[in-house]
Amino acid sequence: MSIKDMNNSKEQIMKQIDIRGKVCPMTFVYTKLALEELDAGDLLEVLLDFPAALENIPKNCKRQNLAEVLEIKEKNAGKDEWILKLMKL
Amino acid sequence: MKLTEEQINRYSRQIVLKEIGGIGQKKLLKSKVSLVGLGALGSPVAYYLVAAGIGNLKIIDYDSVEISNLHRQILHFTEDINRKKTESAFKKLNLLNPDCNIEIIPERITPDNSKEILRNSDFVVEGSDNFPTKMLVNDTCINLNIPFTIAGVLRFHGQIMTTVPNEKTACYRCIFGEIVDFPSGMSCSQAGVIGLIPGIIGCLEANEAIKCILKVGDLIINKIMYVDLLRNTFNLVDIKRDENCIACGDNPRDLVKTYNYRIEDVCQ
Repeated sequence: MSIKDMNNSKEQIMKQIDIRGKVCPMTFVYTKLALEELDAGDLLEVLLDFPAALENIPKNCKRQNLAEVLEIKEKNAGKDEWILKLMKL
Repeated sequence: MKLTEEQINRYSRQIVLKEIGGIGQKKLLKSKVSLVGLGALGSPVAYYLVAAGIGNLKIIDYDSVEISNLHRQILHFTEDINRKKTESAFKKLNLLNPDCNIEIIPERITPDNSKEILRNSDFVVEGSDNFPTKMLVNDTCINLNIPFTIAGVLRFHGQIMTTVPNEKTACYRCIFGEIVDFPSGMSCSQAGVIGLIPGIIGCLEANEAIKCILKVGDLIINKIMYVDLLRNTFNLVDIKRDENCIACGDNPRDLVKTYNYRIEDVCQ
């Protein structure tokens, strides 16, 4: 690991956005804007409540080579809210 | 610079694009484009550039709206007849997108003012209806080192080419040389024009401006695109920079101050 990589991993940022209430395609728009402010390797947690976005955001992130999905987890079971964890590419 | 909620919504379908995103949208919002001519070509150019969020658009036209313009000059309406085209355009463009800073120059572009008007533009779109103005814009932009696109339409045909002086790509003069006598009958008023051909070619001009600002895709450089809507063809013809071109060749002249453009000969 180079010094640069070490520095990067040390400064890895975890950003969170709350896009509950937003529907597609705005879910991807807000996710993309948030990712653009991060560096490669940084993490983004997206809190959302629009079910179709769980498919659309990862699909578009892959297509545009923006981010990789690390995890999709339900937040408050039964409340239809999810956290999508992404790593910026 | 941070995009507002309104901007995120307004430009969302562009932000989604891989080639634009928030970063590209901010580039568009910061950019300065000048547009020569607010007629048939200029109308769609201005409309789409303002809609896309070009932050600063300078519009240049001395003319007033006539009833015979309305079948193709889509920014102007019947109630605008006799109104200055800059005034008519400003009203519509401002209603379309108040986010865009529009500067109006209700004057004819001439060798005396062309450098002053076009200086500091990131891109220039030429949309006039005559050769002398096209040549003047060509020579001025080469002198000022500003990328630009020039188009023309007639009957069911249109053509468009872009020049990037910094990359020494072919210019309008490399192809059309010195126009000594204007071909008679080669104007929209004499030969006629279908209203939608400048719509299509104007959209292509706006696309050139956007691609150049964003540095995406391919510009129509070292090529001329020739569109024939009777035959449904879009042909890209290779062209070459002329090393003896008096505007962009190996020994260029500062033509703007010295060349006789005969702008005053252009029929009204």
